[in-house]
Formats: sequence, C-alpha cells, structure tokens
Amino acid sequence: MASITLTDVTKSYGNVLIIHKFSEVFNNNEFVTLLGPSGCGKTTLLRMIAGFEKPTAGEIKIDNVVVSSPYHFVPPNRRGIGMVFQSYAVWPHMNVFDNVAYPLKIQRLSHMEIKRRVEKILESVHLSQYVKRLPSELSGGQQQRVALGRALVCNPRVLLLDEPLSNLDAKLRESMRFEIKEMQKQFGITVIYVTHDQSEAMAMSDKVVVFNKGVVQQIGSPMHIYNHPANQFVADFIGRINFIPGVASAGKIEFSGSQFMEYSGDKRGPVVVAVRPENITISEERGVLHGRLTQAYYMGDINDCRVDIACTCNHGDPALQVRVLTAGHTYGKIKTGSSLWLNFNEYLVFDHEEH
Amino acid sequence: MFAKDWLAAPHEKIRFDVKLVMILAIVAFLLIFNVFPMCYLIFRAFVNESGFTLDAFKRIFTYPLNWNALYNTLVTAGLSMVFGVMIAFPLAWLVGRTDLYGRKFFRTLFVMTYMVPPYVGAMAWLRLLNPRVGTLNVWLSDLFNLSGNPFDIYSIGGLVWVLTTFYYPFAFITISRAMEKMDPSLEEASKVSGASPLKTVMTVTFPIMLPSIVAAALLVFVSAASCYGIPSIIGAPGRLDTVTTRIIDYVYVGSAEGLTDATTLAVALMAIANVVLYVSTCICGKRQYITVSGKSTRPSIVELGKWRLPMTIAVGLFAIVVVVIPFATVAMTSFTKNLGKPLSLANFTTHYWHILFTRKGILDTATNSLIAASVAATAGIVIACVMAWLLTRTKAKGRHIPDFLITVGSGTPSVVIALALIMTMSGRFGINIYNTLTIMIIAYMIKYLLMGMRTVVSAMSQIHPSLEEAALISGAQWHRSFKDITLPLIAPSVVAGWFLIFMPSFYELTMSTLLYSANTKTIGYELFTYQTYHSQQTASAIATGILLMVIMVNWLLNKLTKGQFSI
Repeated sequence: MASITLTDVTKSYGNVLIIHKFSEVFNNNEFVTLLGPSGCGKTTLLRMIAGFEKPTAGEIKIDNVVVSSPYHFVPPNRRGIGMVFQSYAVWPHMNVFDNVAYPLKIQRLSHMEIKRRVEKILESVHLSQYVKRLPSELSGGQQQRVALGRALVCNPRVLLLDEPLSNLDAKLRESMRFEIKEMQKQFGITVIYVTHDQSEAMAMSDKVVVFNKGVVQQIGSPMHIYNHPANQFVADFIGRINFIPGVASAGKIEFSGSQFMEYSGDKRGPVVVAVRPENITISEERGVLHGRLTQAYYMGDINDCRVDIACTCNHGDPALQVRVLTAGHTYGKIKTGSSLWLNFNEYLVFDHEEH
Repeated sequence: MFAKDWLAAPHEKIRFDVKLVMILAIVAFLLIFNVFPMCYLIFRAFVNESGFTLDAFKRIFTYPLNWNALYNTLVTAGLSMVFGVMIAFPLAWLVGRTDLYGRKFFRTLFVMTYMVPPYVGAMAWLRLLNPRVGTLNVWLSDLFNLSGNPFDIYSIGGLVWVLTTFYYPFAFITISRAMEKMDPSLEEASKVSGASPLKTVMTVTFPIMLPSIVAAALLVFVSAASCYGIPSIIGAPGRLDTVTTRIIDYVYVGSAEGLTDATTLAVALMAIANVVLYVSTCICGKRQYITVSGKSTRPSIVELGKWRLPMTIAVGLFAIVVVVIPFATVAMTSFTKNLGKPLSLANFTTHYWHILFTRKGILDTATNSLIAASVAATAGIVIACVMAWLLTRTKAKGRHIPDFLITVGSGTPSVVIALALIMTMSGRFGINIYNTLTIMIIAYMIKYLLMGMRTVVSAMSQIHPSLEEAALISGAQWHRSFKDITLPLIAPSVVAGWFLIFMPSFYELTMSTLLYSANTKTIGYELFTYQTYHSQQTASAIATGILLMVIMVNWLLNKLTKGQFSI
C-alpha cells in the first residue's frame, strides 16, 4: 500500500548508460510491469527501487519518503519491501518454515506471533504440508512459493518481482500468473514486476512500462499499449505485427510492386504500415493488397498463414511476406499457392525509422 | 583509479571506506613481510659493500656441487610435477566424477596425504627401499629370486618417487576442486553429440580443466623444488644435493659469506620458480573459462560400466602402495625395538611412545607448533574470508592486488621466504622478530594462505548473491545476513580452509629449520633431528602421532558438520 515516485532516475557504469532519466509515479495497489528485452535496464531499475543499486542521479520516494537521492540513501533492509528473485534465493540450509519466518525473526516478534503469521502465509501459498521440508526437497514451483511467502510475510508496502516465473515450465507459469495476481488483490499491495515475456505483462498488469536500451518507450495499460503502440519498437515487442514499407503521399501509400492503399493521414515520404495479423482479413474477390498464399498452418483455434505480397515486382527483389491469422474453421478454403486479396481492419502508420 | 579515489576523499564528506581500509591493511601486511624481504634478498644477491657485483653468482657457480644441486632440483621437481599431474588428473576424475566404489573413502585418503608431513614418506620409503636392508627390497628379491635388491632409494629415481607420492595430493586437491565446479551440461553436450565418455574427457573435460591443471603442476613443481625434508633425509646418505639443502648448508656455515652465498642461491631458486610461474600464466592467460553455473548443480556421474570393478581395484592398489604401506611402515617402526630385525613380539616395544608423551623437548616443541600453527591458521582464515568477500562480492578497486601478492607468496620456495625474513626482520629495518614465534607465524601465513583462501573463495563464489540480498530485503543488516546466511553456508569450507593452513604449518620443517631458536623449536624440526641424528623409532612415533591427529580431526569434523566437512 504505497506509491513509488521516481524522478530523473539515472544509472550508469562508467560510460555505459543503463537507465536514462526515468520519471514516473507508481500508485497504490498498482500492478506495474517493467517490460523489455534482456539488457534494457529493467532489472537495474528494480534493484534501485530495492536499494541494491545506488542511482547515479535522481530521486526515489516510497510513500513520499525519500529512500534514495544523491544526499540520502536508505539501505534495502530498512525500506520495508518484499522481493522475489529470479533464482528464488531460497536459503538451502533452512527449512520452509525458517525461510518464511526469517523477516519476522529480524523484527523480533514473539514465537507465537511468528508461528501464527507463517502458518497463515503458508496456507495462502499452498505450502502448509511442506513446513519442515528443506528447499532441496521441493520442486521449482514450490521453491518459488516459498520465496513468495517470504516476501509477503511481513506485509510489505511494495512487492518487487524479478522475472519470478522464467525458470518454471509453461503450464506452471500460466497458473502462477493468476496466483500472483490474486495475491496482489488479496494483500492490496503495490507490485513491480520485471519480465521480458510480453504475455505475462499483458495478463497481469495495470500498467506496463516498455523499455529499450535504458530508455522508456511507452507507459500505459496493456490494452492501450497493444492497440496504440507509440513506436515501431513497442509495436514489434508487444504481440505480433507486420511492417510493410511504403511511400506516403496525399491520399495514398504506395508499396513496391506498384500496389497502393488509400490513406487519409498527414504523413508524407517513406513510412511503415503496421498491421497485426489478426486485423487482416482475406478475400478472394477484392481488397487493399494483392498477394499469394504461400503457407498455412492449422493451429486449432486459428490458422497461421503467410501471404507473399509484391509478387508482381521485379524478379530478384525478395517477396514481402505478411502474416495473417484467420479463424480455425476456415482452414483449407483457400489452397496454398492461390492468389488472394488482403483487407486491413486496423492499422497504424509510422514514419520510416533507420535501424 | 585507486589513487584518484584516495585523493578525492577530502573533498567529499570524509567516508570511512571499509573495503579500502581492508585492502590497504592486507596489502600493507604483505608489503612489509613478503614483498619487501624478497626485494631486499634480490638486492643483497647483487650488491655488496663495493656496489653492484656478480661476484657472488660467479663464486656460487664455480662449485660443481652447486651445478649438480641445480640439476638435481630441476630434474626431480620437473619429473615429480609430470608424474604428479599424470596421477592426479585421472584420480580426481575417477574419484570425483565416476561411480567408482568407495569414492568418498578414497577421496579422504588422498586428501589426508596432504595433511601428513612429506618427510614421513621419506622415512617410510627409506625403511622399505634401502638398497641393502629395505623391507620391500628384501621381500621382492626373495619372492622373485633376484640376485640383488631391485630398488635403491638413494637415487634420483628414489627421490622422484617419494616427492611424487607425497606431492601429487596438492595437484589432486586443486584439480578435483575445479572439476566439482564444472558445469556438467558441458560434458553432457559432448555426449549428446555422440562422443564416448573417454572422448568427452579428452576433448571437453581436459581442455576446460587445463588452467587448473597448469596451476596444479606449478604447485607441485614449486613444492618439490623447495622441499627440504625429503632430499635431506634421502639425499644425504646418497650424496644427492638439491638447491634447498645447499642453501640451508650455507646458512649453517654461519659466516657472512655463507649468508651471501645462501642468498644468491635462493635468488636463483626464486628465478626458477618465477620462470615456471610466468610460463604457466602464458599458457593459461587467455583461457579463463567460466565454468561455474549460478545454480548449484551436482556434477553428473559417469557410469564406468564394466570398468567399474577393475578401476576400483586399480585405485585401491595405488592407495595401498602410496598411502597404506608407507604409513603402516612408519607406525610399525615406532613399535620396533631393534630396527635390524623384523617386527615380532620379542622385538615389540612401546618405549618410544612413552618417550613421545613424556620427554620435555617433544612436548615443548609440540606446544610451540600448536600455538604457531593455530595463530597462523586463524589469522590466515580471517584474511581468506575478507579476501573472499572482496573478490566475490565487491567491485572494490585494487582488490586483485592482495590476491596477486598472496599467490606470489605461496609460489615462493619456503627456504627463500625464511631467508628473506631472517635478512630483514632481525632489527636491521626497525623490526626485530628474529628468534620469536611471530616470525614463524608470518612465514607460515605467507606460504600457506593461498590454499585456505582458494577454499573459501570457491565456496563463496558458489553462493548466489541473491541469497544475501534476500536477507537484506527481509530487513537484516549486512552483518546479520553474514551471520545467518553466508556463514552457515560457507562454514564447512572455512573450517576446511583453516585446516589446510593449520596442518602444513604444524609440521612445517624447511622454514622452521632456518627460523627456530632455542625456545621456539617446532615439532617438525624436532622430528627431523630425531630421524637424522638420534632415533628413527622416536621420530616414527612422533610422525604416527601427527598421523593419528590428522585422522582424528578429520573424523571429528566430519561428525560435527554432519558430513559437510570436506577438503
């Protein structure tokens, strides 16, 4: 139950800039995800909030109390934070009870109180029957729950999670997502969650912060970020998307192979049309772009198709491929190799970026 | 950067930088007692009253005896190094990574050899392979009806044999430690690619292990080259000199010229050790593979299949020849009345054991050794823990300086360390600790710190930093986190490291021979005197006593730490 205010937080090692002037307020009870490819600085930001790294510049406040600034630094043990580490960091020489009880022992609570609270928390992480087990006798998922129990046991104001699910198998990962989310609602705490998995971010977050190379690309709700990505990087990182290069002029965007689509926006010159695969429909009669179906995979609920467009262009130019998702039951209606038309239900136009 | 931080301090709020203070304290200790004495030694070898001169070198090397000693040292140390590594690598692999029967037992057995004074081996093999009356010699010649005795211990071969069988454990410990840290998936990947277990060992395990193998070889070479006990026990009757025995002879001459000659020879020995060190760093300079995985994975066990029993028998035979027979010989000698006759009931006596527990000289020297070794081990392990913390947990600038100095110190031949300390610590430069236990404690620390430090560093590097961070975030302060989390996890290694410094210090001979005074004789020196001048049986009783102590301590610690204690 705390808000976290970051003002111009910067971190660099020598000349290497990890985080550049990050400012944002994370509100009470918010589930915030820091999302980005590995090496983008998201873990460093989390560790600065925890107090394991000192920012090179800037200020961090928890509930309007400064915990980190150039003049003042509160060490991690006095920040009242819970944290779950990527490697779980469950102490191998302590059993489940002792692991979870540790933060309470540090607070010198009475034995009765410790026992009561540990038992309560073990119940909510479904570990009641493993109290006496050593971590080496637990599965990865169970160790994960021990770490979660330990992080939650003294009712922290903030819970930090550093890629907590990346070492679990796919099925467990999905069920843990909902458990963590449930836990957040139950305890009513502010959660900051670091991941490189965009589907985790989508499923759990109230707010997603997308990073790339230490710079924030976009902040918003999962829905907003998915539907209105601020730039090509965000569009590409969140979900699946096709980028089709073209040249915009008044009223139209022209693609290679002398195809074009109508355009009413005000961008001019080289652009990229970004369209998600599920926002394209296929028609045999008419549409915006003409193409040829090259591959179609039946996935059950959907068909994952590849359509070559610009196939009428000069020989030697690589054919531009567009990914299209169609409803599963339509599989086989169009043969691979046959020509078709594509219609874009929703699309975005970005200025062409040099990479 | 180091200096810049230092200079920048007054401008800021004056910070008490614990890390920097620790580094400076350790560096200061090493500079005063290690670097400075060595430099002075070199200085003295080249400079006399009339200035720079090579006279001492010329004088030293006009004696054929010294050339001979140099040749003997290079040949015996070189061969011991080659054989030692050739034994240690397969042994470390078999014991550490395969399903050999009784692996744990064998491991303890081989490691225990490290904890036993090497000169005990010389005493044993002297009894076994004496060219005229050696027990094993006589037995073998009777068995095969030979005209003469097959072996002569008083030879280069004999010297190499004893040096190898007592210095391979140095390599064994170094290599098996690295082997246990290796990520098993590297070997698994090779097997998945279709390589046989042997092919995997040769193409993956061996190359990855190469840096530690080179380090192990270096350790064996320097130890064998600077060994005093073995060549003096075996070499004296056979008129085999090594550089170490020559140096000690020169010191015993007592004159100023003798000391200069000793210094000059010591510098030559140091030069040899440094060349070996340099070559080894050239070989493995760019080959520092990162093989330690973050997760504590258990190394996968190779199944030997049909080779399991034959391999166990082979290792067992090796253990009998190298460990059981010599130790049993020494133990038996301590109960023998007349060494000329075989051990029988009539020839049995506990007289020498009685001496061991009653003679004041023995008890006093044992107490001296106990005190010196305990202090050296305790001070050493504190430095080791601080260094382990600095090396694995901080990015403090200059933390590799003490690490480097400690490595160099250990690589320096014992006799050189002792000589350098004598030259500088007898009041000439304001410190006079000559004839005290302190000078011995310092010498022991410089020589044996590395083994203890490596043990703690390797334990510490296997503890993921997040374990400590989890304690901090739970509200613990760093010292609480150290006490509750780090210490319990590294405790077995700290204890092991303590003993790796304590044991060799306890029975140390070479440095003690040069540094002792009437009141600070050590048990190693006492034992050596009995062996050479008075009574082999008393010496054997002392040696067996040390042996029993090693076994008891090992057993006790194993019990106390619930089997976690391992070296």
